[in-house]
Amino acid sequence: MMKELDCRGMNCPAPVLHVRDTLAKEVSIDIAVLVDNEAARQNVSRFLEHQSYQVQTEPQEGGFRVVGTRGEGAYVPPAASPTQEVIRPGTGKKIMVLVTSGHMGHGDDALGDMLMFNFIKTLKEMGSDLWCVAFVNSGVSFTSKGSEAVPLLQELVENGVQILACGACLAYFHILDKMQVGEVTNMLDIVTGMKRADSVITV
Amino acid sequence: MSNDTVRLTQSVKGAGCAAKIAPGILDKALCGLDLPVDPNLLVGLERADDAAVYRVSDDLALVQTVDFFPPMVDDPFSFGQIAAANALSDIYAMGGVPKTAMNIVAFPASTMDISILRTIIEGGLSKMREAGVVLVGGHTVEDSELKYGLSVTGYIHPDRILTKRSLQCSDRLILTKPLGTGIVATAIKAGLADQALTNRVTQAMATLNRDAALIMNDFSVHACTDITGFGFLGHLAEMVVDSGFGVRISASEVPMFPEALEWAAMGLIPAGAYNNRSFRGAFVYFATSVPQRVQDLLFDPQTSGGLLIAVAAGEAERLVAALIAGGIDCAAIVGEVIAKPIDRIVVE
Repeated sequence: MMKELDCRGMNCPAPVLHVRDTLAKEVSIDIAVLVDNEAARQNVSRFLEHQSYQVQTEPQEGGFRVVGTRGEGAYVPPAASPTQEVIRPGTGKKIMVLVTSGHMGHGDDALGDMLMFNFIKTLKEMGSDLWCVAFVNSGVSFTSKGSEAVPLLQELVENGVQILACGACLAYFHILDKMQVGEVTNMLDIVTGMKRADSVITV
Repeated sequence: MSNDTVRLTQSVKGAGCAAKIAPGILDKALCGLDLPVDPNLLVGLERADDAAVYRVSDDLALVQTVDFFPPMVDDPFSFGQIAAANALSDIYAMGGVPKTAMNIVAFPASTMDISILRTIIEGGLSKMREAGVVLVGGHTVEDSELKYGLSVTGYIHPDRILTKRSLQCSDRLILTKPLGTGIVATAIKAGLADQALTNRVTQAMATLNRDAALIMNDFSVHACTDITGFGFLGHLAEMVVDSGFGVRISASEVPMFPEALEWAAMGLIPAGAYNNRSFRGAFVYFATSVPQRVQDLLFDPQTSGGLLIAVAAGEAERLVAALIAGGIDCAAIVGEVIAKPIDRIVVE
C-alpha cells in the first residue's frame, strides 16, 4: 500500500515531521512525499533512509516526488538484525574497477559508448566481490544527471558497492553539481582504494 | 499573549543565521557594483571580510559591522543575548575592540506583546555590558516577522587587522565553538530538543568571542574569521579560495554537538546548509570515510559560532591550551594549511 503525502508549501522542518508523524501512526507502509524545494527533498530522503527505507526521487511539476519503499525482503533494517549482512554469492575478494573513460576500447567511439554502458550494466554479476567502482576522466559522466547508468549504479550502491567519482574530473567537465550517484573522491582515496583492493580492473 | 507562553521560533520562517540569504544569490546582487574608492578604507565590501575597517589616523581605525536575524530560540532574553553576541563577534574576528552599538529591530507589534521586545533588548544589553559596549541608539520597524540585531562600531590599530585572507603554509586551524546550532535550532523549532540541550546550545551561542580574541592576541595568528551563516566549510572556503594554499580538515577533530549529528541523519537540516553546500561544495573534497551527517554539520549554518583561527604551527598546541585554560573548553586544532591542492579543502 502506498501512502501519498503532500508537503508542498511547507517550510523546513515541517515536511520531515509530517512524514515522521504519518509513519508513527501507520507502520510498514510505502510512502510517496510531494515536496516543492530541494532542502525538503534531501531532508525527507535522509529521514526515510534513516528509517531503513529505500528511497527514489522523481522530478515532478513544481517539485519532487520522494518515494520510500519497504518492500518485503528488499532491505533488512540494521536495527532489527545488527549482525546480519546481505549475503551475495562471491569468494570474499575485494575487486576495484577503475573506469577511465566514457567508452570502452579504441576504434569506434559510438561502439565504445555502447560497450561501456553494457559493461556497467553487467558489473553486478561480480556479486559481492565487487567492492568499489571508481570513475575518472570522462568516465565520471556515468555518475551524472542524464546518464542511463545512474539507476544501475544506484542499484550497486544499494548492494553495498562503493561508487566513487573523481572530484577534479567532475569539476573539469563542469558537472560537479549534476552528480547523482556515489561519492566525490580524490586521487588519494583512489590510490588508497587500489592498495586495499585484492585486485584492480582498469577499463 | 503573555511573555511566558509565546514560542518565538514558531512565529518566523527561518531561524537565526540559517535565514541568511543564499550566498550565490547575494553574489548576484553585489557583483560588479560601482563602489566608491577611498584610500582610508582598509577593508571594504569587495574583500567580503567579517567587518569593514576605515582608517582615521595612523594609529586608529574604525571597525564596523551589522548583523540581525529572526529568533532561533524561544526565550526572548536568550534571543537578545545571542543576537548581540553574534553581531559583536565580527569585530572580535577582525582583531578589534567593540565600543558602541545600535539596535536594529523588526517587530510584529500588532500580534506580539511589546514586553517581549523589552526582554529581547534587555538580553542584548546584558551582552553589550559584558563586552564593555555602549548602546547609543537604534531603529525599529513594524514587520510581520520578528528580527533583532546590532550595528556595532569598534576600534582597531590599522597595522593589526586580522583578515580572512592571509593564510600561511603549515598554519594550524583552531575552532573555538562546537558546530550544529543550525540543526539544533531546526530541532528546537520542531519541538524535539529537550531543555537541557536547548540550554547548552543557547549558552554556546550567547558566549562572546571576546575571550578567545583576547587570548589569540598573544600568539602569531595569521588569519581569523567567525563561523556564522555560511557554515564551517563556507567560511573556511572564503579563507582558502585565492589563498594559493589548500586546507586539510580532520573531520573527527571538529567539535560538534552530538545530538546534531543524530538529527542530521534524520533530515532535520536547514535549507541554508544545502545552499552552503551547493555554493562551496565544488571547493571541498570529502574522503569517503566522512559520513554524510558529518558533512551536513560542516555545512550547517551557525548562529554566533566560534572563531576559526589560523596560527603558526609551532604555537598551535599552546594556543589551544591557553584557550581551554581560559574556559573555551571545546577549542581544538581541526586542520592545517597545506601546499596542495591549491584553493581547495580536503576533509578526511
